Amino acid sequence: MQSLVNLVLPFPRERFTRSPGEGGDLRCLVIEDDADTRRYICNGLTEAGYNTLACDNGLDGLHHATNESWDIVILDRLLPGQVDGLAILGKLRDLGKNTPVLIVSALTSIDERVRGLRHGGDDYIPKPFAFSELLARVEALLRRARPGHQTTQLKVADLALDVRTFRVVRGSTPIALQPREFRLLEFLMRNEGQVVTRTMLLEAVWDCRFDPQTNVIDVQISRLRNKIDKDFSPPLIHTVRGVGYRLSASA
Amino acid sequence: MPSFPKSIATRLALGFSVLVAEAILVASGVFYFGTIGVMDRRIDAKITAISNRLTETYGNRPIEDLAAQIERELNDGIDSDTEIFLVVSPSGERVVGNLTAVPAATRPLGQVVTDDVVREGKRTSGRLIVRQLPEGAFLYVGRDLSEQRSISDLVVKALVGGACAALVVLVIGALMFRHQIEKRIAEIRRTAQRIEDGDLNQRIPVSGDDEFGRLSVDINRMLDRIGHLMEGVRHVSNAIAHDLRTPLSRIRSRLDEAVRHHAKPGPMGEAASAAIEGIDELILVFEKLLQIAEAESGMRAKSFESVDLNAIAKDMVELYDATAEQRQVSLRPAGSGTVLAAVDRNLVASAVASLIDNAIKYAGPGATIEVGAFAQPQGAEIVVRDNGPGIPAAERPRVTERFYRLDHSRNLPGNGLGLSIVSAIATLHGGALKLEDASPGLLARIVLPAGQPQEVMADPV
Repeated sequence: MQSLVNLVLPFPRERFTRSPGEGGDLRCLVIEDDADTRRYICNGLTEAGYNTLACDNGLDGLHHATNESWDIVILDRLLPGQVDGLAILGKLRDLGKNTPVLIVSALTSIDERVRGLRHGGDDYIPKPFAFSELLARVEALLRRARPGHQTTQLKVADLALDVRTFRVVRGSTPIALQPREFRLLEFLMRNEGQVVTRTMLLEAVWDCRFDPQTNVIDVQISRLRNKIDKDFSPPLIHTVRGVGYRLSASA
Repeated sequence: MPSFPKSIATRLALGFSVLVAEAILVASGVFYFGTIGVMDRRIDAKITAISNRLTETYGNRPIEDLAAQIERELNDGIDSDTEIFLVVSPSGERVVGNLTAVPAATRPLGQVVTDDVVREGKRTSGRLIVRQLPEGAFLYVGRDLSEQRSISDLVVKALVGGACAALVVLVIGALMFRHQIEKRIAEIRRTAQRIEDGDLNQRIPVSGDDEFGRLSVDINRMLDRIGHLMEGVRHVSNAIAHDLRTPLSRIRSRLDEAVRHHAKPGPMGEAASAAIEGIDELILVFEKLLQIAEAESGMRAKSFESVDLNAIAKDMVELYDATAEQRQVSLRPAGSGTVLAAVDRNLVASAVASLIDNAIKYAGPGATIEVGAFAQPQGAEIVVRDNGPGIPAAERPRVTERFYRLDHSRNLPGNGLGLSIVSAIATLHGGALKLEDASPGLLARIVLPAGQPQEVMADPV
């Protein structure tokens, strides 16, 4: 069973307040058996400008995932029937397809995450999740999949970061950062213009797969801001309310 | 009082040995008295009868008649190797007989006694009865016991030899008996240990239809039942986890969509955002409870790898350094070198994070917090030490209880699950969370045992 969700949209097609990003011609396959979650993901992605196809079972999902070309696949770990998420993932990788796959799962334990990634998943997001978290991760995966993302010299407005020499310069002022702050800034700069969530920062900068339940990340960002934004203009690090942070020259 | 062995197997083997040894002793005694004793009594009866006959027949006749009769007795070829006769005149002179020396005459008359005598020039031991004839002469009738003695020696030797052989067999048997019992019990204990370590799939190998075999079957049946119940509980928890999470997710996504679509500032938006935060907290508490339950039941799938605990400590210090700065708390790594332990990195990191978070929260501005890992003889430990007010000794055991909060901390954010989870994580690793007085302050130690914990892969549901 399949349904092109952008044809049957129960919600008003009001434009998403956030910019639709580079969506548009990007094709996204959503394999999710729970109708509510499926609708939640597809509506959001469609509003963000993605071309979405939804499957509610593993067999259809496997068929579409292997026979068509996708920019990204969002895959539920647990699917009814014989073909579950990991089976689809395994088959996809066996066929040599390296489409980015974001695993969505109600299984929250860290081992499940490891298992999913070991089977070839590119990222893992536990249910329930905020749509903004999912979208941020989808965009990060798409960005990662594009060539040239591993440059060592990053530049946003007048802020420059050199990964090899470990130097950060804003305008003509060198900025001294601690190693962790450097990694935090590097991650923000690599995802320039994209929203990154607190969870993504925790994972990428501190290698933490758990929620410390406090505002540690906010405090870290605020300290980084003090170093790179406080005495300069325009501010580069922006808070995206309820979602996370974005580093860009424009507000 | 000598200490009694604790092992029931040893006690049984020992008791059994003593019983059998007693039985051997009794049997030997019965055998001895049934042979040698009977022979002794026969001799006594015989010499009493002869002395009676001689006394009755020759008591009132001249002593020469008695002497002639004794000469005849001595020369008739019957029992001549062992028989003893002697007649002594009232004046104490030897009249006739085969005893060379006259024994002292102060013995009780008419009673059979054992005495040393010299018979035909040889010293020997004999049974003797002495009678006084009416004329005043003494009649000695007896039997040489040397042959009797040699038979008795043989019998005793045979009995002692047999008893020794039996004792050797008995000791070996008792040892084997003990070994057998201990072996069977060890099987049960080994299985119990593995189950205690969290592998409820272990069963006692059933060998034979004996008492232990039947006990094993009973225990295994009980384990099946417990396993079934645990599975049920696990199923229920998973079902609750799933069934509660699903509607919560739905509410959350509806609210999220609503907020996104109608993102006008105002009380509705605020309320919706607050509701989303509330739902997130609810889900988190719920997941933490499940996590504790999983860790405590030992059912959680473990994926341990060798990790440097000091690296974890450093990572967490670097995660909380900005927060510590903001709260004017000095947070620094204290460990040195590499301290390896087989752990689940994320679980241990979250435990350390939780302890640091607590320390920052409760130690207050101006405090110093040190975090480090240290190798210990029995394994390793991660220590988070602060110099804040600490936790009163009476409260320390209680703070790891679920939802327990110290009175003065009720106004601070938190759900009272933090230390319970740290404790559960330590337990999951076969270790423990120890809270001690750092005087001043709190010393929290996550003690981890040495060695690779047993790999237990529970099926994901």
